[in-house]
Amino acid sequence: MRLLPKPAGKTIFFLLVTYSITISLWAQDSLRVDSMILSNRGGIENILQGNVAGLRVKSWSGTTGAQSTLNLRGLSLDPTDQSTMPLILINGIPMIANPSNITGINPLTYFSPEQIESIVVIKDIDRLAAFGVLAPNGAINIIMKEGKPGSIHVRANAYAGVNFLQNMDYKRDAFYNFNTTARREVYENGGMINDESLLVDGAGTYGSYLFGLSNHQDKGIINGSGFGRQNLFLNAKYNITDHFSAHFYNNMTLAKRNGRYAGEYDRDMTLPVVGSEEFFMDKNRNLGLMSSMGLTYLLNHGITLRSVAGLSYEGASRDLYVPSNLLDGNIYASSAAYKRQLLTWNTSANWLHEFSDVLKMDMTLGGEFRSIDDRLTSVNGKRSFENGGSNFVKVVTGYNANQTIALSNHNIEKLLSFYGNWNFKYKNDLNLNLVVRADGSSLYDRKWTLYPALGAHYDLKNSLSIPVKIKAGIGKTGVLNRPEVYRGQLDAYGDYYGGNYLGIGGLYPAFSGAKSIDVTQIDAGLTIVLGSTLNISVEYFNKNYSDFIYQRYQPNISGIDYKYETGGKLRLSGVEITLDGNWIHSTHFSWSSNLNIAFYQSKVKSLPGDIENTSLSHLDAFTNAPVTSIVAWQGSIEKKIGNNAPKAFGGLSNTLRYRNISAAFIFTYAWGADIATESFNSRYDAQSINYDFPVKSAETPYYFIDKSTDGRTIYQGIRTIEDGSFVRLSRASVSWHFNGISKKVEALSDLEIFVRGDNLLTLSRYSGINPEENITGIRRYDLMYTGTPLPTSVALGIKVVF
Amino acid sequence: MMLFQMNNMINWMKHWKLFVRESRNDRGRKLTFHITYHKSYFSRFTSGVLLAIVLLSSCRKSLTVEQENKTIEEGYYHSAQRIQQAVIGGYVDMRRALLANYAWMMYGEARTGDLKVAVTYQQKVARQQLTDVDENLAQLSDWGYFYDVIKDANDVLDIVDNAAEDILSTYQKNTYRGEALALKSMSYFYLARIWGTVASAEKNNFGAHLTKEEVVKQAIVYATESKRLLPWMLLNDDGIESAALTAVRFNKTAVTSLLAQETLWIGNGQGAYDILTNTFTSNTADSLSAFGLAIGEDRRTEIPQAPLSASVLSMPLATFNAIYPDGDARRSGMFNISGNSATLIIPDASKVDLLKLQEISLLFAEAAWRSNHLNEAKEWLINASNGAIEDYSTLTDETFGDALLRERQRQLVGTGQRMFDLIRFDKVSTYIPAFTEADVAKGAAYWPLSASSLKGNGWSQNEYWK
Repeated sequence: MRLLPKPAGKTIFFLLVTYSITISLWAQDSLRVDSMILSNRGGIENILQGNVAGLRVKSWSGTTGAQSTLNLRGLSLDPTDQSTMPLILINGIPMIANPSNITGINPLTYFSPEQIESIVVIKDIDRLAAFGVLAPNGAINIIMKEGKPGSIHVRANAYAGVNFLQNMDYKRDAFYNFNTTARREVYENGGMINDESLLVDGAGTYGSYLFGLSNHQDKGIINGSGFGRQNLFLNAKYNITDHFSAHFYNNMTLAKRNGRYAGEYDRDMTLPVVGSEEFFMDKNRNLGLMSSMGLTYLLNHGITLRSVAGLSYEGASRDLYVPSNLLDGNIYASSAAYKRQLLTWNTSANWLHEFSDVLKMDMTLGGEFRSIDDRLTSVNGKRSFENGGSNFVKVVTGYNANQTIALSNHNIEKLLSFYGNWNFKYKNDLNLNLVVRADGSSLYDRKWTLYPALGAHYDLKNSLSIPVKIKAGIGKTGVLNRPEVYRGQLDAYGDYYGGNYLGIGGLYPAFSGAKSIDVTQIDAGLTIVLGSTLNISVEYFNKNYSDFIYQRYQPNISGIDYKYETGGKLRLSGVEITLDGNWIHSTHFSWSSNLNIAFYQSKVKSLPGDIENTSLSHLDAFTNAPVTSIVAWQGSIEKKIGNNAPKAFGGLSNTLRYRNISAAFIFTYAWGADIATESFNSRYDAQSINYDFPVKSAETPYYFIDKSTDGRTIYQGIRTIEDGSFVRLSRASVSWHFNGISKKVEALSDLEIFVRGDNLLTLSRYSGINPEENITGIRRYDLMYTGTPLPTSVALGIKVVF
Repeated sequence: MMLFQMNNMINWMKHWKLFVRESRNDRGRKLTFHITYHKSYFSRFTSGVLLAIVLLSSCRKSLTVEQENKTIEEGYYHSAQRIQQAVIGGYVDMRRALLANYAWMMYGEARTGDLKVAVTYQQKVARQQLTDVDENLAQLSDWGYFYDVIKDANDVLDIVDNAAEDILSTYQKNTYRGEALALKSMSYFYLARIWGTVASAEKNNFGAHLTKEEVVKQAIVYATESKRLLPWMLLNDDGIESAALTAVRFNKTAVTSLLAQETLWIGNGQGAYDILTNTFTSNTADSLSAFGLAIGEDRRTEIPQAPLSASVLSMPLATFNAIYPDGDARRSGMFNISGNSATLIIPDASKVDLLKLQEISLLFAEAAWRSNHLNEAKEWLINASNGAIEDYSTLTDETFGDALLRERQRQLVGTGQRMFDLIRFDKVSTYIPAFTEADVAKGAAYWPLSASSLKGNGWSQNEYWK
């Protein structure tokens, strides 16, 4: 067998394989990472911020290694729920992308931007339906760099910089005049960032290779804390024969984050929290692995068979110890491990067929298997102060197994899918996409759901001589409704007779009607191409969500608390406008801009009847109101007091080049979002105030109703309702290419130095530090879902390509 | 899905037959062609269907995941031990109904002011301010926990009925059924005594409003059947009679006492007398057992960890002296006196006594008195009241009731029955000064219903608590 095929054969093969990738990129927002303004912060999502109309990347926390929230036409009933996150793919293979709640480390930091060729943002239904129940909130496909023709290339990149807080006012940040002395000590200007990466690549008749390593360290602004990760990666293709090739991708990352007590922990912690943190420990350690292997076989007649197996794994562990000097005489220790694994296997056949010179078809039929296995174990314990001994001794003696609480939790899910995609291309004018996908899920009794979609894209340039492209699409995706409830559940009630006998009974009965949430989507778009100078694109979408699973509380003579039902309808619609201007393009000077803006509206269209007796009862005041409404009580009446979603958001970027100097900056903005700040002074046990909320003169008359950990009803006053509108200079960079040197030194193809800044300036009327710091639009009393102050960072770097 | 495939197959078969019939009318050559075509079509079709069935059924199987962190009912009850867990579930729920917020006391001696419970909301209960805004009172006026027990019991009856033949021995089958029926009977009986008119949670009349007599009559049916099924002594897991186990699970003694209480509640003295005399004979004297609820950990709600810990239940000295006059031998036997208070002695804090053995004699006394056997009644009362300073031999039909009520108050203190006794003896307004007779007639002796108990059932608060 000839292992090395003829060059011509390989070239054809290469072209054919890349053709289908090109097709799949068509008509979507594809961003070439090398030409984007990168971020000094870890997390691939940060470089997307402000670049794509409709993709909201919210920098909510300055804690290093935290993930910015991502939303791409996503909607959920729960504003804190990560189910609005888009599907993240690496070379088309799904990855575990949301941070685990154990370490909170962002899996999108596991890659260096230097590894990435391009990022494709998929919003249109005729592409999304191909992912069925996996992509109700859009998809982001991260295409990794591959080896480029040539025997060897080496690319090295490094930068170093500092984080600092501009004009930090300790009374204005989210902690709001709490433990100020400690925070002054903790928020330290000058936390270093450094990042280095090295890539080696090449390609030839044998295929291509790329391997490398990178290191990223960010000390943030909280003294003693910090995030770091190192990764090794490989992306290789090997042409086994003319027709048969293999593709290997592997990225392994070790990530760590160290926490700090003062400044990071919530207001409910015991005071004083000033003290030596010599023996304090909060060590978060993650192992992230993304690995795939694909085989491609080229048959005759334009048929290609492809089979790709992917593994995405994250092992997260956290060890926490709080010594007694911080907890007023108590010590606390916990250890938790969360292992998540995602296995996918996708096999497909692709047929490229030309019916005639003008009519072409690209058809793919395939199947996909997906398996999730998540396991969490944790122990924690608290012990009161012991006389004698140092804090260190207490570390040893304080961890008493008899006083620990143990937890173990598992989740296993399987999904089996069959799909077919048909793309018909008539001349260069008309594209027709037809998608049908069937998903079978282990979560339901009736396992299968069908997701069809149809889309048409028409370029009027040839037929009508108008520089306009139009598109329209209709179809369906879904959201997996968790947890699995179709088989009912038994519950342990308690111990009896000396603890030797366990009493059990039904928690809820079986519910065979469980199914996915249906999301029907309609898209329409118009693009005007004014020569090579200006592109204006307007897109409209409308998504309707129906059949959420919720609990229906049973009359208390039933003997069970609830059973499950499905119902409810939500709608999200929006208009996204993008202007791409390529104003000047000459040998010495060029200037291009991008402006994008998205207007979204969500609405609760209908809710289940007798809503008060369901687990959705908190939505009682929401019918025909935005899903993102902030609802609170005034006296005995529930009122909508704001909306945590902005009326519009987007970005503005400009890229300028003069000879060998280039500069780029990007603004992001949002307006019309409200922020309700909970009062630290008016918080009451409802019973103790006889269920009558006392209004404070300097605060709003509104209050939320919470439950305390021991089940007591709490009335939480709202201090202010503020406007969260802002404009932010999110990123800017200036770089200088040393063209002269690279011309003189033959081996050197590029040498560049750059200065780059993140979060440089924010204009906002919000009284806190960062108008995006509250995930739910509510600055909560306990600071849950509220981030630490977002620092500015400036770095100086160098990039060398051999 | 299998059904769907079968239907498909039948449709294809019909189609095939039709095609052949039509072809026969055609010319021979064509017929041959068609039949040949169909044969091959049919065999492809058959293999296709078979393949699809195999594929999709294996899909279904591979898409069914056994979650490791939850237990589903289907296929769970496949051993006697697991069925017993369901029975124990009923006891744990009964414990939650009676022990959360010291409910058994609040419904009983804490409400009549006999005993003080060392929690703040007891003052409101003793002052009959039961509708005050208070989260503990709201839970106490909620009847949901008792219905949880009824649901558990009905589930156990279903589980036992549906259990495979070789899983349960006859003893186990009878005992589990008997325990479930007894738990159900006791729950309905508590409901009737606490709230009067209540809802049925039985399949045949779910949600029906039952009068206080109808409820107790229903409870009597369950207790009667349970009494037939339950043994005197229960066997432990090794098959050996266990007194400790019998004391915390329903047994024949306990369910007979319960049945007698229920029968007396509906005023059937003769019935109670017959039940007691036919069941408790000299032969059974050695097999009697009290019944209480074993203390343990509840995983769903805040039950005080040690509801009977020392000093939780006490009496002010004045009340104590009034109930147990000087010279009564039970003063020191049942209470620790210190300062201005007498604390109830709990001999065994690992269980809460509900049906004490002493009560059997008092039940005999009451049944005999109410069925016109006064002399026998006096004998039972004297026999039961060892240590009393009163001379009960001189009692008459008129004075017997008061004496019996007093002895029940003294001897059954801590079992939570005092308030129910006052209702049964029609003495509520006598002993609870906050209520007039008119109040009692409106339903003051019963508890108000919580908002969640009123919801969705077509219920309204009784006239007094409106």
